[in-house]
Amino acid sequence: MNKRIINDDFIRTAVRYTVALVMVIIAGTIFILVQGEDPLNAFRLIINGAFGNRAGWGSTLRYMMPCILLGTAAAVAFKTGVYNMGIEGQLYIGALVAAWIGYSVELPALLHILLCIMGGGIAGMLWALIPTLLKLFFNLSEMVITMMMNYLALLGTEFIVRWLILEGVGGSVVIETPNINNSASLPALIKGTSSNTGLFIALAVGLGVFILFKYTFMGYELKQVGENLKFAKIGGVNVVKMFMSIFMISSFIAGLTGAIEIIGPYKRFGASFAKNLPWEGIMISFISRHSPLAIIVVSFVWGALRAGAMNMERFTTLNKMTIYVLQMLFVLFVSVDYELLWRKIKTVLRGLERQLGETR
Amino acid sequence: MTIFEALFNPSVFASAFRLATPLVFGSIGGCFTKKVGIFFIAYESIMLISAFFSAWGSYLFGGALFGLLFGIAAALVTGFVFGLLVINFKADSLIVSIALNYGAWAITTQLLVSVFNTRGSFFSTDIINYKEIEIPFITSLNNETLNILLNNKLLIVYLWPIVVVLAYIFIYKTSLGLRMRGVGINALASTSAGINVNRYKWLAVILLSVALGAAGSYLPLGGVSMFAESMTAGRGSICIAAVLIGNGNPLVTGLVALLFAYSSAIALTLTSLYIPTQIVESIPFAIVIVVFFVYGIKNFRVKSRLA
Repeated sequence: MNKRIINDDFIRTAVRYTVALVMVIIAGTIFILVQGEDPLNAFRLIINGAFGNRAGWGSTLRYMMPCILLGTAAAVAFKTGVYNMGIEGQLYIGALVAAWIGYSVELPALLHILLCIMGGGIAGMLWALIPTLLKLFFNLSEMVITMMMNYLALLGTEFIVRWLILEGVGGSVVIETPNINNSASLPALIKGTSSNTGLFIALAVGLGVFILFKYTFMGYELKQVGENLKFAKIGGVNVVKMFMSIFMISSFIAGLTGAIEIIGPYKRFGASFAKNLPWEGIMISFISRHSPLAIIVVSFVWGALRAGAMNMERFTTLNKMTIYVLQMLFVLFVSVDYELLWRKIKTVLRGLERQLGETR
Repeated sequence: MTIFEALFNPSVFASAFRLATPLVFGSIGGCFTKKVGIFFIAYESIMLISAFFSAWGSYLFGGALFGLLFGIAAALVTGFVFGLLVINFKADSLIVSIALNYGAWAITTQLLVSVFNTRGSFFSTDIINYKEIEIPFITSLNNETLNILLNNKLLIVYLWPIVVVLAYIFIYKTSLGLRMRGVGINALASTSAGINVNRYKWLAVILLSVALGAAGSYLPLGGVSMFAESMTAGRGSICIAAVLIGNGNPLVTGLVALLFAYSSAIALTLTSLYIPTQIVESIPFAIVIVVFFVYGIKNFRVKSRLA
């Protein structure tokens, strides 16, 4: 019995993804044809750009890294029904703190990296403490507060860099911090590319959250809270503690992502450097149905698409935005409840049949 | 200039009145979906798409009203996608909203390249703005304060107070509005009372799209003659806050949106005082948090509500 249910679920998921994939491929072909390019050529360029050579692999793995981390950060929150929309803000705060530690402190290499990462994570966590406390004591929607705090973080970090670190010099200088010291920089994974060992940290975080959810008592309680809050309460789960820990874990990972992005590929903090990336994290988490292992797989595809899109943009008149639109469509198609849709179509068809029968 | 003058001079109120347009239109649209019980946070996406198409429409046909029509049409299409997925296909409205927000940025940036062949922003004098309307009655009063406050505004600016009142009447004084609220309070009970729940949800989504279309059209056609990438700049998020605080009541929501517009207007006057732009730009968002906090203070408990 049990086995059959798993099978049904598996089939449902498979159908969902297959339909979404087919629809996206059709939509993509149409998009590319409309823009007067050859879809097959574009497809080849994407694959080539993602896996064709060392640079391609480097780029794929480089974008895979933040996708895993942000996807996991989102999964921790959204799996348990906490609306942490503030991943963006937590990421910026973590990134700035990591950059600051990175260029202002002199330490041996490993220790320096560790300090940057922990500093970024804790900074993101402290930033998220405000909405957490407002929710716990005033029952204010964490969704709205975190969204507003995103803008505050974005503008605040820009302000700090422009007026406190650069001390307001010059009118048109790029708003970014000095480069971090070599001791704080994560070593490259593939030489000559921006991929770096941060990927291992990302994988470790993903696996860590997987273990947390699957094998620990706390993870079990967290899952219960997400599935049925009332039931969890009656069952004696300390919901306040759970809410706090979810928010703290999620925001810690978000801050950590910021830190790794800085000491990994960027080497310095530039204002609004991670445009839209956090929202991709939430999308990846939803596509993967908040499962950390699936997030790793989806992130790989996502990173490959991003690397491929840039290659496609280089060699055709197509814009990488086309790929972003297709990513959105994929998310939309995956979110559809196909079983319900199929049932609806069947009833409509049956109705038509009946009508046809009557007219005869 | 003293602080008092900065806060209460008529031109600040006048610019608040003007800046309120996208916020009020957007949040009034949100009142319908809030009342009918649809979770919707893709304000930014529909507004942005409408903003692009408004600019395009105005550019093509040389008139702001064509722009408005284009914008509303584009907003309706986007709203249709949302409605189809969420109402009919039972997709998770949170993820649909986030995907749409993300996609709207990509779509408009792509269109900016495909249509106008530029990146970042497109400015052209061919994008005709809304015209300023002079009301002879106010001019004849010869009162300068009133003149600054209420005269020579764009058509769409005069429209928003009317829309607030109409939305209030619709939601609270008509049977259609009553049923709509009923659907939001208990969809199952409404179904058993013989109401087609989906039809009311669709009505709400259509009204929302039209309102957001109007809101979006103000952005390029409200005097700047340009479309810029992500030009909504957080207005959608502010709408979310206004709708939540007003709990879907158009009068309260409209007032809250006006308050947020006022804080933006103050921020604008502060730019002339050599205060860093980052601080100035973050004022409206900080005000939203403060207002939200004041609104929530009645909920205070030492022991958390969650427990």
